[in-house]
Amino acid sequence: MRSVMAALIVILALAVPSAQQGSTRMVLKGKAPVSSDILKVKLPRPQVADLTNGLHVMVLEDRRLPQIAFTIIIPGAGGYFDPAAKIGLASYTASLMREGTKTRTSAKISETLETMAATLAVSSSLSGPNATVSGSALTENFDKLMDLTADVLLNPAFLPEEWDRFKTRTKAGLVQQRTNPSFLATEMLNRVIFGTHPAGRVSPTVENVDAITPDALAEFHRTHYVPDHAAIAFSGDISLAEARKLLESKLGAWKKGTAPRPAVGDPEAIGPAKVYLIARPGSVQTTLFVGTQSMRRTDPDYAALTVANRVLGGVMGRLFRHLREEKGYTYGIGSRFTATDYRGSWLSSTNVRTDVTEPALRDLLAEIAELRETAVPENELADAKRAIVGSFALELEDPQQVLNYYVDSWLYGLPADYWDTYPARVTAVTAAQAQAAAKKYWATDRLQIVAVGDATKVADILRKQGTLELYDAEGRPMK
Amino acid sequence: MRRLLRPPVALVLIAALGVAAAPIRKIEFTDTRLKNGLRVIIAEDHSAPDFSLVVTYDVGSSNERKGRTGFAHLFEHMMFKGSEAVGQNEHPYLIFMNGGSMNGTTSKDRTLYYETLPANQLDLGLFLEADRMRSLTITKENLDNQRNAVQEERRLGVDNQPYGKTFEAIDELAYENFAYEHSVIGSMDDLNAASMDDVAAFFKMYYAPNNAVVSIVGDVDTKTTLARVEKYFAGIPRQPAPPPVDMTEPPQTAERRLTIEDPLARLSRVDMVFKIPPSSSPDADALSVLATILSSGRSSRFYESIVRQKQLSAGVFASAFETRGPGLFAITATANPGKTLADLQTAIEGEIERVKTAPIEEWEIEKARTSARRSFVNQLQSSLSRAINLGENALFYNDPNRINTRADRIARVNGPDVQRVARQYLVTTGRTVVLTVPKPAAPKGGE
Repeated sequence: MRSVMAALIVILALAVPSAQQGSTRMVLKGKAPVSSDILKVKLPRPQVADLTNGLHVMVLEDRRLPQIAFTIIIPGAGGYFDPAAKIGLASYTASLMREGTKTRTSAKISETLETMAATLAVSSSLSGPNATVSGSALTENFDKLMDLTADVLLNPAFLPEEWDRFKTRTKAGLVQQRTNPSFLATEMLNRVIFGTHPAGRVSPTVENVDAITPDALAEFHRTHYVPDHAAIAFSGDISLAEARKLLESKLGAWKKGTAPRPAVGDPEAIGPAKVYLIARPGSVQTTLFVGTQSMRRTDPDYAALTVANRVLGGVMGRLFRHLREEKGYTYGIGSRFTATDYRGSWLSSTNVRTDVTEPALRDLLAEIAELRETAVPENELADAKRAIVGSFALELEDPQQVLNYYVDSWLYGLPADYWDTYPARVTAVTAAQAQAAAKKYWATDRLQIVAVGDATKVADILRKQGTLELYDAEGRPMK
Repeated sequence: MRRLLRPPVALVLIAALGVAAAPIRKIEFTDTRLKNGLRVIIAEDHSAPDFSLVVTYDVGSSNERKGRTGFAHLFEHMMFKGSEAVGQNEHPYLIFMNGGSMNGTTSKDRTLYYETLPANQLDLGLFLEADRMRSLTITKENLDNQRNAVQEERRLGVDNQPYGKTFEAIDELAYENFAYEHSVIGSMDDLNAASMDDVAAFFKMYYAPNNAVVSIVGDVDTKTTLARVEKYFAGIPRQPAPPPVDMTEPPQTAERRLTIEDPLARLSRVDMVFKIPPSSSPDADALSVLATILSSGRSSRFYESIVRQKQLSAGVFASAFETRGPGLFAITATANPGKTLADLQTAIEGEIERVKTAPIEEWEIEKARTSARRSFVNQLQSSLSRAINLGENALFYNDPNRINTRADRIARVNGPDVQRVARQYLVTTGRTVVLTVPKPAAPKGGE
């Protein structure tokens, strides 16, 4: 039994309790048999090769099951590079590639894929720099899946009638998403955190969609879907030699272009901290987001913020124990952050019933303040670090999951032994380092608050937290 | 990485259309009953250094009585609040802080709890599950606190969501038997009425070893694991068997319809459900293939015709979910802006008619067959998926081996079978139709 568990440890409520309800603090009796070893897990490493067209190949061979998955990552083909008047161009180019090629109709592609129980998806977010083409199939169908993949990647037709159909569906979605409070909160928070930087894009407008034509899609495809800076990652029932052979025979026509490596930059420094409320009449809950900018993936603070965030907003972290378990304000609460080749975002989010909006927001902010102001106790810190490191054992069930780590390494230029040494780096984070990260990233003047709810009931409450801006569900300022 | 210790056992699934499909190993397991009635299923798989442990209790919302809806699920929340040797929230804390994951879920038919943990934490998982089965701590404070969490869950998932109330309305209208008529989440009033006595009586009756199945899949040794299960669980006393629930549903003789106004919805939606037999019925596999043909993926009939060609909806979904009692074949679709529910409903009915009268194509049958085969392969990847399935199959059908036979059963379904079940069950007199239309919100939204 671990020594830290030997005593009865009561983790007390950390913030000033608002105490309308009975408290249910966490009590560790320390009687459960916990193995003191951290299971040493070594992630298998992929084999790699570089092809003459620029394509970087990664293969994680795993013969446990008769299936193979692949992902092609194409930097430069993401929504990051959309012109401001055509937000959605990259995303819709990706979606339309699947809607028919010069020799296959959309319906035929679906039928071929689904008869094999195979998957094939081309996608690009509205904000990120990359597009991805990914798929999977049983081994016996993989050759046929690669035929289809090559056709979709190299010969998409962008037929006007398919674009019209897609546009109708997309516009219905643009209406529907405005009923979703999380969407409204995300849209506002990203606007506030990233300003006009492409990372702030959450949804196109109807005008954006109408400005896009089949010719624009074809042009985006022609100029951005080049192998020059791309990678393909395979996992499962395949070797590097088999993968190379397959690529030569199926993707030989994917020729190197002359595209320079697509450049991305950081967003502007975050603006003054304010409170943003989106009025959603009839809402019985308030959706609360507190967020700010984070860091680049290669930032030396990455491990420290990972640990601090695990303590605050990880599963069974402080926010969950305090706001859900102790106070019963919410069904779920947590926090997370993104870090890529430019500064990403950090976010804590929850939905609370309208009448506890005030204490819930106060307690959420108090938990963040606690991490800034007080070092995390050693036991709790050790637990958070073990949680991060221990979860690697579970990920070994899925080779694709393991390979994703190495895709990240390639995308962000992490050292070759990055994942071998990652557990040690996490374990080495001290309480002082975690606190320093909390102070730096979660400083009061950086934290933006976004709420979605019944404005007649919560506007005055929110105004107590700072300058309030009020919007309607269409994103228009209100008075 | 360690390889499988055992040579793959050939379970020759029918190769689709002569394509050389490799045989897929079947899942081997042991099935044991302890003296106190606890059923224990163990499947070794050393391909990853972890394991999943699932405890499935034979109780769901269908066991609830009138005035206490939502109780089985509320009780599930109580199971994380501590027991004799485990403090409040210590269970989830220990699991997550040792790199594991865990949760509980409640359905109409069962309540289950699971842990996935690194391979060296077998004792931890078994100790925690056994201690709460033996000695759950029941306090008023915990009950009130979890009542709040559940009511928040209801607001989040039902009251604050567009179409949230539609789900409840369908079951209330389609079913006459209380067992399936009411929702798992329950009503706010009933949740408020749940008392300490209710909790204690429920625990004693349903959370007994003879009313549960423990299933363990992963990097474990069967013999050692069984001995550990004995060590932790054997001392928990057996209880009298809970009363059986009468699930019988009177035959429906006429269509039922309802229109709901929803202030949170912006698009109209149609839900159409048809009564079907329990999943243990020989017709269940054909009904599952019927759902695949109608709505699985973009090659499905609903998608091709209604979404792509007619552009009436962004998605039309059909399902025949697994149920121990009388089931529902459910069809759901949201109308695109500017399209009417009447046109959408006519289009859906047109496809139902076509499936009954025009032949099913061979590729559609093959699609269902390959899809079942791929699902089985995916189950072999996830220890949790296997553990859940073994436990549910043991509880629902007294046949854990059903996990190994599903792909074969689906492969035996042919076109005429699909047409027969469509003609038999997708009939107007057996259906319930719920229309949800947007209700304009109060004109003033701000202050």
